[in-house]
Parts: sequence; structure tokens; C-alpha cells
Amino acid sequence: MTSFTGKILCVDLSARSFETKAVPPEVYEAVLAGKGLEAWYLYTHIPAGADPLGPENILAFAAGALCGTGAFLTGRWTVACKSPLTGGWGDANCGGLFAPAIKQCGYDAIFISGVSETPVYLFCDGRTVEIRDAENYWGLDATEAERALHADLDGVCRKKPCVAVIGPSGEKLSLISGICNEGGRIAARSGVGAVMGSKKLKAVVLAGARPFPCHDAEAVKALSKELGRKLLKMTLPTGLGVFIGAGGAMLGHLPYVPLDGSMTAYMFREWGTQANTSLAITSGDGPIRNWGGTPRDVRRMADVYNPEHINKIETAKYHCYSCPLGCGGKLNIRGRKYVEYDETHKPEYETIEAFGPLLMNWSLDSIYQLNEYLNRAGLDTISAGNTVAWAIECFEHGILTKEQTDGLELHWGDTEAILTLVRKMVAREGFGDAIADGVKRASEKFGGKEYAMHIGGQEPGMHDARNDPQLGVHFVAEPAPGKHTVGMGIEYGAMSLCDICSWAPPATMHGKDKDLEDSERMAYITKANACYTMLVDGAGGCYYGQMMGVHMWKLVDYLNAAEGWDYDGDHYMEIGERIQTLRQLFNVRQGVDPASFKLPKRMLGEPPLPSGPLKGVTLSQHREQVSSHWRAFGWDDQTGVPLPETVRRLGIDKLTEVEI
Amino acid sequence: MNRKQPVFDYLNCVSCGICAQACPVSVLGMRKEGKSGKYRNVFPEFVREGCIGCGQCARSCPMEVISMEEIAP
Repeated sequence: MTSFTGKILCVDLSARSFETKAVPPEVYEAVLAGKGLEAWYLYTHIPAGADPLGPENILAFAAGALCGTGAFLTGRWTVACKSPLTGGWGDANCGGLFAPAIKQCGYDAIFISGVSETPVYLFCDGRTVEIRDAENYWGLDATEAERALHADLDGVCRKKPCVAVIGPSGEKLSLISGICNEGGRIAARSGVGAVMGSKKLKAVVLAGARPFPCHDAEAVKALSKELGRKLLKMTLPTGLGVFIGAGGAMLGHLPYVPLDGSMTAYMFREWGTQANTSLAITSGDGPIRNWGGTPRDVRRMADVYNPEHINKIETAKYHCYSCPLGCGGKLNIRGRKYVEYDETHKPEYETIEAFGPLLMNWSLDSIYQLNEYLNRAGLDTISAGNTVAWAIECFEHGILTKEQTDGLELHWGDTEAILTLVRKMVAREGFGDAIADGVKRASEKFGGKEYAMHIGGQEPGMHDARNDPQLGVHFVAEPAPGKHTVGMGIEYGAMSLCDICSWAPPATMHGKDKDLEDSERMAYITKANACYTMLVDGAGGCYYGQMMGVHMWKLVDYLNAAEGWDYDGDHYMEIGERIQTLRQLFNVRQGVDPASFKLPKRMLGEPPLPSGPLKGVTLSQHREQVSSHWRAFGWDDQTGVPLPETVRRLGIDKLTEVEI
Repeated sequence: MNRKQPVFDYLNCVSCGICAQACPVSVLGMRKEGKSGKYRNVFPEFVREGCIGCGQCARSCPMEVISMEEIAP
């Protein structure tokens, strides 16, 4: 026995039919489950040129290989499809309870094709599958719809249902919308919400109670117990958050950044991802004023976004399924300025950065409001923040006028204007409608392309490639461009991949200047990072488990125990390489030119910033670094197309001939 | 009627929620209200009646902090 159920659910909404299919073991051996299974299925089943918002596109929900085995930090569910935002591979992932719910229905993944004529939701309890009417839920925000579904199904299901649902932005086909669960926690990127909206699929509701398969559950649990005991001792004294900003300023001026995986555990247990905000503002990691500003422009803003302020109004922490870290939390925000809700999830770093320093917005209260509002709407805060930043900069430069913005005056730090514009984006009203599909399309309509920060159509996550040139490589070499969760130099050293992989270069420090240079060593670092991330995604792991390093979160040992295999790290890294190459092949088949993914000039340091930790930095060898990265993968170093010998070496030619 | 129910050693619980999701009848949940401790302020608890005493929660717990014990009728 392995940890795979061996089955997938394939639903055709046009025909209102479904079918359970068995997946041969060789597919799992090649790509695991999660994103790997999705890459294999979508590559073999979505025809070239398929309309991302049409019936041929397939929306996939998958749990990872280790989900449900007792392995810690394996509760991520991954959505994948052809992205309407980039035209190529699209995926997003999220925590919560939805991943184990997929497996408890008896499936490793659910693939949904076709388009329904009327709003529907998919229901599965492990025994029956039904496509049900969703007229009553259409129009509700994601949290309202989830609550209504829970109320309507209360007492009907033995097991409490888990719900993945779109909000109004997904219904209205905003290309920067995502899919939510657990009260607005969102798989936000790649426009996956618009694909779900195009299928008129409001929600997927899972209420199965089947047991989780696993080869050696006791061995898996022993690995988790070892990690859990370490984590129980890893606590910080209260109040240290006030020093993070100063620490970031110091790091910003160091040529090297020392790394240790255990910091992830300490910081995320204490504050969550918000720990990074004040550090990012002062160190050069976080973008300021649409990626054109410096810490000098926002002096003392690190105090405003000090994570201790957020911890003070935290009413409870929460954990994703199988997570001993617990970086999530609920906040009491009742009565705060700009706020119309009683509570919200602790805003993630990305959200705070995208609506704080990026827009020169000094109001933390407004970010609580925006966080809850956008989570309920199902709009990606990274993409929305980048788009609002573009609009403000265009207005400041006279590219946009009041007539075009429906009378709205857009200026840096104008909290009221930001809130109004975001409401118009969600409602798809007037100027808000014109920019609700992200910054690339907005700039194509109105101009100001030099201020439109996107890579291949997708807005970048809130980390600056000038601070971390390896991130710049991942931003453009990743088949879903602009994602910040594929690799960073700042994390590579902490992971100690060289201890599980014979070809992964050792690195215990992130050297900023060294990382600016193109070298074979650097190419293998970025390759190793991307391969390991794909492996983690196939296993259903959390990026923060990955960041803790291979000596704390023992992925190779977990997989061997859960599957009954005896493979070494090199074998598993090849699985990651296979998944990444399949995703790249998906893009090539869909007519996406990998070489067209480029960093915006501003992020290349053209012109360089005049002050701060990134003063004078230009990524002059970035393009060569991308070529070297492709070459290390066995892809053409000029076009990024995987070479035939690479496809054969990885067995992808045979894998894609497997029929089910 | 089975009279065994889970008993939790909260001091060594890491709040991972594996037990709650393993419960086939969803009587176990993760309590989210209130901070009772600095880090481990989310604990498994009964959120409604109806425990069938199956022991899935105890078997699923990686930290081995759940024991099935007889309860008074």
C-alpha cells in the first residue's frame, strides 16, 4: 500500500456527468500527487489553444501525496488550470482542511471540465457525487456562501463538509481572482477563480470520511513526533517584534545574509508571516511605492507594521491541517477605522506589503478591512495591490485623469481613495471594471506600461529581485511567472538541500553581490530550489516546512515511509525536475513563449535606486542567469523549451502516453 | 453503547488538527476561541455530542497524546 488512493474524479459540467478513473501506479511514481498529478493530467488533457474561460479548460483540485499520512505540514491543496491571466500554466495553493477532504472522498484529485449553463456546486461525500443547483449561493461572498452551505447541509452529512468557493470576483471573471476555503483563506494566484466562475461552479463541497491510505503510518508518525517535540521547545519571549525593523535595516546593509531554517519556526509560531513586514520595509526585500521607492520614503513605517500591533488584537491562533506551526490567527477588528467587519484572518505579509508600503499607505486598520473584504470577494491581494499601485502612479504622472477614474483622485497614501478603488474593482464598476483583470491589461488600455509591474501577465509577489537576484530568476523561469513561492536565495541556504541531493551546491549564506553574477553554481542552486519546491508541491507540503530545512522537516524520509519506497534524495529531486519540465511543456504546447517572461525594468534596477540598501543595484546578468538556469534543467538556453533528450531522460515521453 | 472516549494530554499537543479531521462523525473540532496559552492556544475538543468511540483520533495522532479511556455511564 502507498499513500495514494489511486483514483481521480473527472467531472464534465457541460454534460452534467462524472466518472471515477484509476490512475496507474507508474504515474504516481513519476510525479507523486498534488501539483505533479495535475501537471500530468492537464498536459495530457487540455488541448493546445484551449480557451482558459471555455469548456476545454480543466480546473483541478488536488491533495498531495503525504496528506493524511500523519506527516506534518502536508495540508496544502493545489488548484491548477490553464491560466486566463498568463495564457499558460496556472496554479495556486492554500491551507485549511480541503486537502484531506479530497482524500477522504476517496480521490487524489478532482478534475472539472465543461461549462454549466446555470450556477451549480459539486457535492461529494465519498459515496455519491452530485452536481447541485447553486442559484441560492451565487452572488454571495465567499464566506457567506460557505456559511450558507454549512447551514443547509447541517445534519445531512455525517462529516462536516469542507467547502472551496468563489466570491463575486470569481463570478465576474476577474482574471486576478482566486478560490477560498475556511472563511476566506484563498488560493489566489493565476486567475483560478475566474476559471471556476467561467464554469458557473460556485463551490466544491466535500464531506467524505474514508480512511487515509499509508504504507507505514507508524514510521511517518515517528518522524512527526520528532519534529513536534523540537517545535514545542521553540518559543520566543513576547515583545521582540519591535526590534525586527532595526534588524532588517542591519541586514539590508550586510553583504551576506546568514540563514537558518529554525528561524522560520520561531518567527512563524510567534507572529506568522507578518514577522517579515517591518523587516522587508527596512531591508530592501519589500517593494515601496510601486517598486520605485526606498526605505527613506517610508521612515518609521516599520513601526506601523510592527507585528506586535497585530498580535495584540489576535483572539486565537489557528493551524492548517497537520501543521504544528500555526502561523494563522483570528483578529478582533470591531470598531476600527475603515472597518466594517468584526473579525478577520491575520493578514499575510503579502497583503500588508501590497496595500501598505507599496501604496505608501500608513493605515494598518485599512489593511484589516481590505484583507477581509478581498478575501470575501476572492480577489488576489498581490495582484490587486500591484494594480492599484500602477493606477496611483499613472494618476500622479498625468497618464490617468479624473475623467478616466470616475472622478477619483489617486495619490500615494490616500487610504480613502484606495478603499474606494478596490470596491469598484470588486464590483467591476466603471474604472474599477477596466482594471479588474490585472495590471497588464489595465496598462494596455490606458498606457503607463513602464509602471505596470508584471511578469508574463502576472503581478509579482512582494519580494524584490534586486535584493534577491535568485528570486528574479524564479520569477521569470517559473512556468507560472511572478510567483514568489518557488525559490529565493534567502531561503536556499536554510534548506540545506546539498545534504539530500548530490548535485545541489552547498550554501549557508545568501551573498547578495555574488548572486548578481551568472555562474554554473548559481544555475544549479536555482534549479535545485525549483526542483525541491515541485517535489514539496507533489507531496502537498507547505512552503514553510520547506523553509525549515531538510534536517527538521524530513521530506525524503516521510515519502519513503508513506509509500514503502527506498529512494534517495537524488531520485526525489528528479521527480521535482519532471514536474517542472511537464509544466514548462504545458506552456510550450499552449503557445506561450518562455522567453517572453521578463522582469519589469524597474525590478532589473533600470534605473537603479538612488538610496537605501538597494542603492545602485542592477541585475545586469539576469538574462544570462535565466539562460544558465534553463541549461541546467536541460532546456534550450535561448528559448526555454525542454530539449528532446531531457524529455526522454525524465521519461516524460512515455508518461504522457499513459492513458486512463 | 461504547463508553470509551478520547482524553487529551494538552501539554504535549502541537495543535495540528489531524485528530479532528480523522473523526468520521465530526464531533471533534479545534477550539479557536480565546488564548489559553501563548503558543498552543488551539486544542482539540468535543464540539458536539455523538462520539462513537472509534479511536480514529487516537490512532491518527503523531504526538501520541490521545488515549481512549472508559468514561462513567
